[in-house]
Amino acid sequence: MTDEVMYAELHCAHCDQETLHALVYAGRLIVSSTCQTCHLQMKHEPGDLRIHYLKDLENRIVTKPSRLWRRFWKSPVNLMWNMPKKVFQQPRKIWREIKSLFR
Amino acid sequence: MTANLPQQSAMSIAVVVLAAGSGSRFGSATNKVWLPLGGRRIISRSLANAIKSFPGCRTVLVINPQDTLMANQVLEREVPSVEVELVEGGETRHNSEYNALAHLAPAIVSGEINVVLIHDGARPLATSLLFQDVARTAHRHGGALPAIVVDPFEIDFKSPNKIVRVQTPQAFRAGELLSAYQQAHRDQFIGTDTAACMEKYFPDVENIAVAGETQNVKITYPQDLVIAEHVLEMRGYTE
Repeated sequence: MTDEVMYAELHCAHCDQETLHALVYAGRLIVSSTCQTCHLQMKHEPGDLRIHYLKDLENRIVTKPSRLWRRFWKSPVNLMWNMPKKVFQQPRKIWREIKSLFR
Repeated sequence: MTANLPQQSAMSIAVVVLAAGSGSRFGSATNKVWLPLGGRRIISRSLANAIKSFPGCRTVLVINPQDTLMANQVLEREVPSVEVELVEGGETRHNSEYNALAHLAPAIVSGEINVVLIHDGARPLATSLLFQDVARTAHRHGGALPAIVVDPFEIDFKSPNKIVRVQTPQAFRAGELLSAYQQAHRDQFIGTDTAACMEKYFPDVENIAVAGETQNVKITYPQDLVIAEHVLEMRGYTE
């Protein structure tokens, strides 16, 4: 659902003001946030994040059929139209997520 | 004991969720309420909790005009089953609240809505129980806000007063709230939060503190996103 990197204004503890932050996501999880002013970075402990990612990935796989079913009922044409593209892109998407866990 | 209480009309609720803050100082920045959190946008979670608490209630989302396209896309995808009314925000939180109340004014005046809840869109973890608790208390007493007592050692251990941290959703009887904001608009008074405006124009209306929730964090610092993620995981991503 998301871009891997998003930018948002959040309060930086070091600058003590609202600054632009780059937020890196792997699937549904936040990998890191970096203040674009002072470059203070907040990161998950990598091992901890990988365990969380695997649990989350499992949850995403398990819930995928019900989410697809909901989308199908909402807009079948839209889903069928976009499905081939999404299926084709999925391995690349997962690969990018895994890569971001090891950055 | 309940026999002594005044007869009250049934509660009819409107929920206003504020999401008009902008990342305007930085061109490419997304307003934090549109950030993903556990697979859905923060604002979708805030809205979903409010809607779940009061099925069928009127729901108003106050947004920055520049977020209209994104708001429509996100609502269609993540909150599809409910009609959310979009209202343009103002320059301050107070003005955004005023715009939302002005939008609801006909229904408030006609008595269709008798309690209004104001919730911060950046608080995605407020539970249904909290929403219902503040609504019931406001309906009975006039106003309600969730608060958590701050450990005095956290701020100033010499302080003789009890210090509380106030959260949202805050709820008020709709008629008084609308009237307070209309008067504030005429006087050009800008309150720091909803309760401040009510206290100025309706000091006699009881504003009851209900027990807030420690997990009801406001996304402010980047680490709040990680905390919220963990809370959601513990809740099974349901609320």
